[in-house]
Amino acid sequence: MRSRGAAPRAALHVGAVRGGSSGGGAPRTAGGGVPRRRTAELGLLVWVALLALAGFAAVVGAETSAFGPAVIVVPAIYLGLVLALHVFLVLRRFRGDQLLFPLAAALTAIGLVLVQRLASDLLLQQLSWALIAGGAFVATILIPRDLTTLARFKWTWAFLGLVLLVAPLLPGIGREINGAKIWVKIGPGSIEPWEAVKLLLVIFFAGYLEEYREVLAQAPRRIGRFPVPPIPYLLPIIAMWGMAMVVMVFEKDLGATLLFFGIFLAMLYLATGEAFYTLIGLALLLGGGFVAYHAFPHVAARVDIWIRPFADELRFGAGYQLVQGLFALGNGGLIGAGLGNGLPERIPVVWSDFVFDAFAEETGFLGAAALLAVYLLFVYRGMLIALRAPTTFLQLLAAGLSFIVALQTLVIVGGNARLIPLTGITLPFVAYGGSSLVTNWMLVALLMRVSDASARIRGT
Amino acid sequence: MVRPVATNIRALTLALAVAFLVASVGVAYWTMFASESLAQDPFNPRLIAASRDRPRGQIVDRNNAVLADSVPTPDGFKRTYKDRTLAQVTGYASFQFGLSGVEAAYADSLIGQDAADPASAWRARYLRERVPPGAVVLGIDEKVQKAAADALGGRRGAIVALDPRTGVILASVSVPTYDANEIVDATKQQTAWDQVTKAQDKPLVNRATSGLYPPGSTFKVVTGAAALESGFDPNQKLRVDDPYQADKSWGTYFVRSASHAHGDFSMPDGFRLSENIYFAQVGLRIGAAKLADYAKRFGVGGAPACDLAAAKGQLASEGSIDRPTLLADTSYGQGELLVSPLQMALIYATIANGGVMPTPHYATSVRDNQGHVIREIAPGPIGQVIRPDTARALTAMLVGAVEGPGAFAFGAKIPNVHVAGKTGTAENVPGSAPHGWFIGFAPAEQPTVVVAVIVENTPEGGVTAAPLGAAVMRAALNK
Repeated sequence: MRSRGAAPRAALHVGAVRGGSSGGGAPRTAGGGVPRRRTAELGLLVWVALLALAGFAAVVGAETSAFGPAVIVVPAIYLGLVLALHVFLVLRRFRGDQLLFPLAAALTAIGLVLVQRLASDLLLQQLSWALIAGGAFVATILIPRDLTTLARFKWTWAFLGLVLLVAPLLPGIGREINGAKIWVKIGPGSIEPWEAVKLLLVIFFAGYLEEYREVLAQAPRRIGRFPVPPIPYLLPIIAMWGMAMVVMVFEKDLGATLLFFGIFLAMLYLATGEAFYTLIGLALLLGGGFVAYHAFPHVAARVDIWIRPFADELRFGAGYQLVQGLFALGNGGLIGAGLGNGLPERIPVVWSDFVFDAFAEETGFLGAAALLAVYLLFVYRGMLIALRAPTTFLQLLAAGLSFIVALQTLVIVGGNARLIPLTGITLPFVAYGGSSLVTNWMLVALLMRVSDASARIRGT
Repeated sequence: MVRPVATNIRALTLALAVAFLVASVGVAYWTMFASESLAQDPFNPRLIAASRDRPRGQIVDRNNAVLADSVPTPDGFKRTYKDRTLAQVTGYASFQFGLSGVEAAYADSLIGQDAADPASAWRARYLRERVPPGAVVLGIDEKVQKAAADALGGRRGAIVALDPRTGVILASVSVPTYDANEIVDATKQQTAWDQVTKAQDKPLVNRATSGLYPPGSTFKVVTGAAALESGFDPNQKLRVDDPYQADKSWGTYFVRSASHAHGDFSMPDGFRLSENIYFAQVGLRIGAAKLADYAKRFGVGGAPACDLAAAKGQLASEGSIDRPTLLADTSYGQGELLVSPLQMALIYATIANGGVMPTPHYATSVRDNQGHVIREIAPGPIGQVIRPDTARALTAMLVGAVEGPGAFAFGAKIPNVHVAGKTGTAENVPGSAPHGWFIGFAPAEQPTVVVAVIVENTPEGGVTAAPLGAAVMRAALNK
C-alpha cells in the first residue's frame, strides 16, 4: 500500500494511482479535450469477455440448458454494454480507479452465467436488469456534478431512506414474498427498496459523522476507561438506525437488519475510532438476537436450522434448502464438478439465495476461493480509494460503500456455508435480482467518482 | 486529537480480510473435508442422480437372481424391482424421495464407488470418473424367502431368518409391503408416495429390523440365561399359584398365568408351559440389576449392528427397571420392553451359536462389473454373551418347549429334526388382540437357521406363529 513513513493524513498523500499513469499522451489537467485512455481497464475487460464466453460455452456444452439464440445474444449484448460503459468513461476523461469496473463486470458476468445455468428462463430479465444497472451507473457518474452535494443534503437522504423503508408496509403497493414484506410493486414487477436504503444510509452517516465525529470521538466524560458518548449528538444516527430496525422487524427481513446494524457500527467506528462503541454494538446485537430468538418465531426458526439442519424434523422441512446447499458444497471438492455438471438446481430458489453454493459445487473450492478473492480485491480497492479521498466525507463514504459489499458477501457466504444463520441477503452482483444489481452498480459508480475526485485534486 | 479516519479504515480493512479468510476456511471445510460424509447421506440427490445417465448396479440374491436392476429407457436408466416381498430390504432409489434399504446402505457400491476399490475411489474423487457399477450380493435365499412370504401371507407382521453361525440373513419379510417400482416411476411416484407415507400400517417400515414390539414370553430366555449364570438351580421347584403377587405392597397388581396354573415348576417346566409366574419369581430372586445386565448384553435397548438401518429397542421407558412390579413383568417379557424381530432372532442365534452373538448382515459381498468380488462382507461376531454351557442348557429347555408334553410351541415341530424354540403372546394396546411370536432354531444339535416370526394382533398369539416358523425352517433345511 504505502511505506510506513508516509504521512498519516492519507487523504492528501500524493501517490500514483496504479494504472492511472498510462495513456502517455493524455492531458495532465482536468477538462482537457482529448479522451483519456484507460488501458488497464480495457486490458482487464478482455478477461471479463473471456470469462463470460467460456462460462456460457461451458453451461451450454454440459447440456444443462437448451441451446438457443439467447445463449449467443445475451453475452454479446452484455459485453457490448460493458464496452460501451468503458468508452463512456474514456470519453468523459474519467480518472477514477480502473480496477473496480472490470471486477464488478466480471462478477455480473458470473451472475449471468449462473442464471443461464440455474434458471435460464430468467436470463433475459437479468440481462434487462444489467442494462438498467448500466444506465444507473452512467447516471451516477454524471449526477450530481459535485459529490459534496451529497453531504449537504444528508437530511434529505435520511428522509428519503425512511420513506423507502416504510413503503413495503403501505397497503396497495407493498408485497409479501416468502414471508418477508420487503417488496414494492411497480408496474408488472416489484423492487426491494431497502437495497437503495443501504446506499442512502451510508451517505447520510458519512455526512453526519463528518460534521460531528470530533464531538463523538472525544467523549467529555469517562467512566473508568470507558468513554460516555455525548448522547445528544448520537441521537440522530441512533434514531435513524432504530427506525430501520423497527421497520425491519415488521418486514421480517433478518438480512437487512443485520446489514443496517453492521453499517451503523462500521461507520461509527470509521468516524470515531472508538472500538468501545463497536463492542457495545456487538453486545447489543447479541442481546437483541437473544430477545428476538425468544420473541419472534421466524428468528427462532432460522437459528434452529443453523444449529441442527440435519435433524429429521428439519431436513425435509425448514432446513431443506440449507441441507441441499451443503450437499452442493460437499460435491465441490477441490476443482468442482465442472460448470453444468453438478446438481445445484436441487436447492430451492438457488438462483437468488444459494448462488454461492451452486458456484462452489461446479467450480470447487478453488473457484469459490477465487470468487471470494475477487470480492476481497474489490473491497481492498474501495478502501484504498477511501484512504486517498480528499475529504473526511468522501473517506467515510468510500469506506462505507466498500464495507457494504464486504458485509453482504460475508453474510450470505457465511449463511450458505453454515458459519452463521442464513439470511436472505443477495450475493452482490452475482445473485439473481434487479434491485440489488442496480444499486450495486450505483455503488461502483460512487466509489469510482470518489477516486476520480482525488485524482483530479492531486492532478495525477 | 481524534484518530485520523485513515487509521480506522486500515483497521477495518484488516478485520474484513480476516473475516474473508475465515469464510474461505469454512468453505474449504464443506467442499473438501466434509464432502465424504455429505456424499454418503442417503438423502443427497447426487447419489441417485449418478444413476440417471448410467446404470446403477444390480442387487442380486445368493443364487444370482436379480432383485433390482437398471433398464435403459428414452429418459435415462430406470430402476426396476423384482421381488415385492423384499421391498423394504432392497428399498428404492428415487430422484424425488431419496434412498432406502440396500439402495441407501450400499449407495456407493451401486454407483461404482466402493471404498474397497481404491483405484476407482481415487478416480471418482479426483477425476470424477466412475467405473461401471457391479453388484451387491445379498444372503437372501430365494426358497426361504418364498416360504416366509407364503407362511405370513397377507397377515401384518414380519419374519426374519438368519444363519446363527455367520449372521447372514436368509429371509426377511415385512407385511404390508409396497411396490418400489411405483416410487421410482416418474408418473406414479407422487401418488404412490402419498399413499405409502400416509397409510396407517406403514408399509415403508421394514418390520423385521425396525418394527418394535413387546417380546412377550420369547424374552424368557434372557431371564433364564441371567438366572443360570447367577448360579440359580434350574431344577429347583418354585410354587406357582395364579394369580400371583410377591407381597401386599403390590395392591391390586397381580401377575397372571396363561394356563391359570397351580403347582410346582422347574425351569424346563416354565419354558415348556410358558409360565409367567415362574419367571416373575426368578426375576425377583436374581434382581433388577442382573436382569438388566443380561438384557443389555443381549443388545436389548440398543440397535442391532446391522448393515441396514435397524431400530433401537427399549428395556424400560425410564431406562432402568426401578420397581418390583416392573421387574416381575419384564422377567416374562412384558413390562415396558420393546424389541425388533431381528433383535430377538439375534438373542436366539446367540443361544444357537454356543453363546456367541453374530453380527447380522443382509449383503454378503460386492462385485465389480466383471463379476469379480471386490469385497466380502463377513463381519466378525459381536462377542461371547453367555457361557457355552448356559447356551446348551437353554437349548435343551427350548427343545422341550417345542417337543415336550403339552408344549405351547408344538406347532413348530419338524419330522426327524429337533427344533428349539419359544412362542410368545405379547399384550400390547389394551383392547386389541395380542401379537403372536415364535422364535426358534434347528437342528438343535448343530443349528444352521434361526427364525423369528411375529404376527400382529392375532387372537391365538404364539400358537398362530409357531407353524409359520416351522415352514421357514423346513425350507432352510430342505426338509
